[in-house]
Amino acid sequence: MSNRRLTFKKRLHILKHHFRDKKMAPAFAAFHTFLFTPDETTHSGAHVRGADDLKRTMNMVILALVPVLLFSMFNAGYQHYAAIDVANNVSRELSLWENFLTWDNFWIGIIKVLPLVVVSYGVGLGVEFIFAIIKGHEVEEGYLVTGMLVPLIVPIDTPLWMLAISVIFGVVIGKEVFGGTGMNILNPALTIRAFLFFAYPTWMSGDKVWVYEAVERTGTADAISGETVLGALAQNNLAELNYSVSDMFFGFIPGSVGETSTFLILLGGLFLVFSKIASWRIMLSAVIGSLVMGYIFNVIVDMGIITEYSNFYGLMSFEYWQHLLVGGLAFGIVYMATDPVTGSQTNRGKWIYGFLIGFLSVMIRVFNPAYPEGVFLAILLMNVFAPTIDHYVVKSNIKKRLKRLKNATILPKDSDSKAEELKAETV
Amino acid sequence: MLEHIELFFKSIFIDNMVFAVFLGMCSYLAVSKKVATAVGLGAAVIFVLAVTVPLNWLLDQYLLRDGALAWLGPEFADYNLSFLSFILFIATIATMVQLVEIVVEKFSPALYNSLGIFLPLIAVNCAILGGSLFMQSREIATLGLAFNYGVSSGIGWFLAILAIAAIREKIRYSNVPPPLRGLGITFIITGLMGIGFQSFGGMLTGGSEEEAPVLEKTAAAKVEEVEVKENKKEIDEKEISYNDAINK
Repeated sequence: MSNRRLTFKKRLHILKHHFRDKKMAPAFAAFHTFLFTPDETTHSGAHVRGADDLKRTMNMVILALVPVLLFSMFNAGYQHYAAIDVANNVSRELSLWENFLTWDNFWIGIIKVLPLVVVSYGVGLGVEFIFAIIKGHEVEEGYLVTGMLVPLIVPIDTPLWMLAISVIFGVVIGKEVFGGTGMNILNPALTIRAFLFFAYPTWMSGDKVWVYEAVERTGTADAISGETVLGALAQNNLAELNYSVSDMFFGFIPGSVGETSTFLILLGGLFLVFSKIASWRIMLSAVIGSLVMGYIFNVIVDMGIITEYSNFYGLMSFEYWQHLLVGGLAFGIVYMATDPVTGSQTNRGKWIYGFLIGFLSVMIRVFNPAYPEGVFLAILLMNVFAPTIDHYVVKSNIKKRLKRLKNATILPKDSDSKAEELKAETV
Repeated sequence: MLEHIELFFKSIFIDNMVFAVFLGMCSYLAVSKKVATAVGLGAAVIFVLAVTVPLNWLLDQYLLRDGALAWLGPEFADYNLSFLSFILFIATIATMVQLVEIVVEKFSPALYNSLGIFLPLIAVNCAILGGSLFMQSREIATLGLAFNYGVSSGIGWFLAILAIAAIREKIRYSNVPPPLRGLGITFIITGLMGIGFQSFGGMLTGGSEEEAPVLEKTAAAKVEEVEVKENKKEIDEKEISYNDAINK
């Protein structure tokens, strides 16, 4: 086995040298490095060997996303059958082994979630390959994570052609025009979702798109629907909410494909923090920001400024810490806000950036009735302002250091003059 | 107080001069290469807007709008000079900019030097005239609100040019495809920033609806009642005339 593999590897190396300077070289090299470590070695200068190159970084994030993806495949089926039961007035008790982790649920995940993943990767990587071949540079790994994030943040019934179009838009306008991976100013996955949201709003919100087959069955005898928690709250439908806190925490609720399970997202986030891929500063400050904003709203409700008849009552009276359990807030904080390219890059900037993301997310949720799922917009907005934050943080650091330098240069002079005085005295 | 806060927030984020109505694009695109100069221009825009919008509000209130001349005497009450608003507004702006320039040059040469060419440039910045015209068309009620509107829409413009200047400094070393370098990529960035600012689109509309449904209901109910009454009257009259006809 190992012998055959070696020869395959060697053959690939030879093929690669054969393809060098040809037009398809970047595409070939991409597949080659995907399978094996390249055989090229550097020839000059000093080098640091780091295991955490771009490919490894991306793979770590994908690893952190795999549990979320698997859960979402089961949840897709579970929500479908749960909605049917609700439509037929059958009460349903959640039990992990009997009606959640079943083959039926998983099958719906396979036929609905997997195509989203395949289309996202196929179209996105296709665009990347075309650009790499035209521009003659190596294929970059930047799309690996984006391609995994995109299917997880769209509603389950998103038509595949819509996804394909918005992926093309996101990769070309959001990333390639800036020069490819690492140069973009907005998170590509969120650009894709924003494009979907504003181009096809009927497919991105409402009470039909979150459950498999709900759109197709509209108007028929066996119509089903599934409102997200936030959607129900935004319309003050407090009575319709029959999800317990543990349901929300473990993710047995309708929502975008992968955003529901706060528990698994939390595990993924811890994994990313301990492998030092994602910034714990951004995560922590975003959580604090959303808690602060949610708490302010709770206080406003408690003071009686907002009454039950207000449009904002549903979301404002929602317990402040539960904001983290519903909608895309947790997913956005862990996987989107921490994007090292588009986020703030200075340590102090990260605190400000994260805090404002959490703060604005909850604010948009409450105040903007059009976008109860406004987390992605808050992150995009802060992506826009991240360079500004960085600019001023760097500037203030420069000022501080100049001051320190000044003090440092003045002190020896003082001591010199003192020394001279001493000399004069002794003389 | 609440309406001041609402107007302030609204004109900075929701009706942002650059991302919602795309005004003041020329200087926004031209002077956003460095953060320092962008800050200078943005500050100048805030200042000029804060001065010209209240001034134009006074002009509009006491000279231009339909019936504004009533304070001169009842025979002037029918005049409507609003067709002059463009010319008067721009004249005010040009004069104010010139005046401000002279004053600043005299009393604070340092600020004058740092603002440089931007101060006279502002006279032709469409965000400034736009501010006055929006003030007119949105029928802002008081002088205080007009001042608030001027300052806050200036701050919105300032934030926009600050953000894009920082982004342009950041992407200076990016490998942007040659045909897009310069203005092309700046337009694309502006569009993407517009998507980010969409997060505020339609925000706070719930705030006005909060009381509106009740009012609307009563209004609608009143209209209905009136209609019903009128219908009844008509029916009664018809019946009466019918009866009269029979009787005759």
